Amino acid sequence: MDEFASRQYPVQEHMVFQRRTWIIQRAGWFVLAAVCLAALTGLLGGGILSNRALEGAAMTIEYERFERATRLAQFGFHFAPTDNTERRLHLSRSFQDKFEITSIQPPPLRSLATLGGLELIFAVAPSVKNQVTIWARPHGYGSVAIASHVDNNPPSNFRVFIYP
Amino acid sequence: MDSVIKACIVYFVLWAIIRISGRRTLGEMSAFDFILFLIIGGSTQRAITGEDYSLTNALILVSTFVVIEIVLSLLDLRSPVLRRVFEGTPTVLVENGHPMTHRLRWARVTEDNVLEAARRLHGLIRMEQIKFAILESTGKISIVPERADDKAEG
Repeated sequence: MDEFASRQYPVQEHMVFQRRTWIIQRAGWFVLAAVCLAALTGLLGGGILSNRALEGAAMTIEYERFERATRLAQFGFHFAPTDNTERRLHLSRSFQDKFEITSIQPPPLRSLATLGGLELIFAVAPSVKNQVTIWARPHGYGSVAIASHVDNNPPSNFRVFIYP
Repeated sequence: MDSVIKACIVYFVLWAIIRISGRRTLGEMSAFDFILFLIIGGSTQRAITGEDYSLTNALILVSTFVVIEIVLSLLDLRSPVLRRVFEGTPTVLVENGHPMTHRLRWARVTEDNVLEAARRLHGLIRMEQIKFAILESTGKISIVPERADDKAEG
């Protein structure tokens, strides 16, 4: 008797259904493997394909394209050297809406809530490159368009996708 | 509302992953598999509860899981097709002492696994002593010994 024919004895088999199940199972293995591969490469956040550096004349922003809800995200702001001893970093309202800031290094001298979002004022050493790092916890899901600028320079725009 | 949606998603994603992993994984669980399942439970638990450790949230989650279970069991009763989808079907792996190699391969069960079940359940040591070996929908292997079956038929 054909191995894949359904038996009625000693149990009622449904071999057509069973074979479909086995095929779907194998397709599912590839899906699970794809999830692991996506995680390893950073497509689900925290990897090579996620890391981004947005370079501008006044500031370079290091961030991750893919973030996960409630996982701590890191944003690095590298200021080009100027003679100023204070730098004003502006973050758009979308950042405030989707990220809860947990830590800023170095701590800002003060922060202001402005019409367009959040402004952080830092004391910096003149004529050298300065770096500010913000750790923030994303909440909510989906794509977020963020704009940021330092002092009166033109804004840098970037997008972050937050996974649930 | 968030908790109910999260619980539903986690329930069906976990169900799909367990079904994808195959019945063997469930039925013939080793000590390591057991630890693995505990880790899976721990990983998903935090995703569902998030930062809400309130009694209300726990009540919502437990209620949601129980309601899903009840609804699925009612659907099971009404539809044999859904029952097959949710629970799977039994598959004969050994017939009259002959291992069905294609089925064994697809089900990821080795002849050694069948013989182990035969030894454990009936003290049988050879394949010829097995009338039927059946991979149940629960993932466990049932053995019908050659002699016992003959007696039953007689």
